[in-house]
Amino acid sequence: MTRAESPGPRRWVPWLLAGAAYAGFVISLYLTFVHYRGYVSPCYVVHGCEAVQTSKYSVVLGVPLALLGTVFFALMFYLGIGLLTGSRVLVVRVYKVLAFAGALAIIPLFLLQAIVLKAFCTYCVATEAIMLFLWVLSFLITAPGQNAEPLDAAAQSE
Amino acid sequence: MHTPGKHLLAAKGVPWVGGSLLLLLAVGALYLFTGAAASEPSRTPPPNAHDISFGPADARLSVIEYSDFQCPFCALYAPMLATLRETYGDRVRFVFRFYPLANHQYATISAKAAYAASLQGKFWEMHDLLFKNQKEWSESADPRPYFDSYAKSLGLDIDKFHADADAQSTTDFIARQAAEGKRGGVTHTPWFVVGDSVVLPRSLEEFDKLIQEAL
Repeated sequence: MTRAESPGPRRWVPWLLAGAAYAGFVISLYLTFVHYRGYVSPCYVVHGCEAVQTSKYSVVLGVPLALLGTVFFALMFYLGIGLLTGSRVLVVRVYKVLAFAGALAIIPLFLLQAIVLKAFCTYCVATEAIMLFLWVLSFLITAPGQNAEPLDAAAQSE
Repeated sequence: MHTPGKHLLAAKGVPWVGGSLLLLLAVGALYLFTGAAASEPSRTPPPNAHDISFGPADARLSVIEYSDFQCPFCALYAPMLATLRETYGDRVRFVFRFYPLANHQYATISAKAAYAASLQGKFWEMHDLLFKNQKEWSESADPRPYFDSYAKSLGLDIDKFHADADAQSTTDFIARQAAEGKRGGVTHTPWFVVGDSVVLPRSLEEFDKLIQEAL
């Protein structure tokens, strides 16, 4: 079967996934540095980062959410590279599970900001948007009928 | 001897190495970015006779702060500023300017309370009380009873305090300072100007060092 006859592996998707995960990694890492350095982040006119960053919900069991986000996005970044270099079925499955978990995590995070804190942190909303984006895009990782085939093999068979 | 397999392996390794380098680059850049205090020339007005200030009016150095009483980070800086006022109050003029942020519900009403206290010579005392008790009044349904209790504890004339807080001249004063700040490029609070430079020191030690260097 040729690429013209089927949707085929979308080669741009892993690039986009890796790029988005990298953006999420940078934002989360920044917030992690801010947390651990005790860096006083000022109150800006346009967003309520100060309320979110200083809330008790910014730390879960002693671990800052920003650090969890950094680890999550680093993992998604490397999995994105894994998809780039040859998307084995295991990598795809792990990616989809993590992307779904990330999408689920958005719900409490967003509700906390909207209902409890009544403030939205631009950085946090940006990372939540990226998590949602990764989940939505994860549906495009493999074309129908190619779930067990590595992308490289598909490319070489053309 | 080169084989196609080896080439393929090398080519496959490039994204992993490149990706790891990108992550390390972000770590290094953010480490430096979050560690350094920013400094830039100030565009806000220099201290003037109308300013609320602490220290000699003819001091060689001034420290201007644009602040919002409901800003949690301004509250974190308040004890630092109190220490600095105590240390350098005889040589440095510490100026407070109002910059109530629109996203803080009680920013303006708290600024009015502070200004009203200033008209009875108790600005810095009210300033300290507002920041110290920020959590209680900022999370209340109505902060005015809290402001009244602070005013009473400072021995202020409550009727005058209310009248001054509600006066149009108070609203105008606060609005004028905020507008000047906005024109001068203030985008967040706290916003500090030490001498002619906008700075954002991250600790008391860093702030102290900046003042010592400027003196």
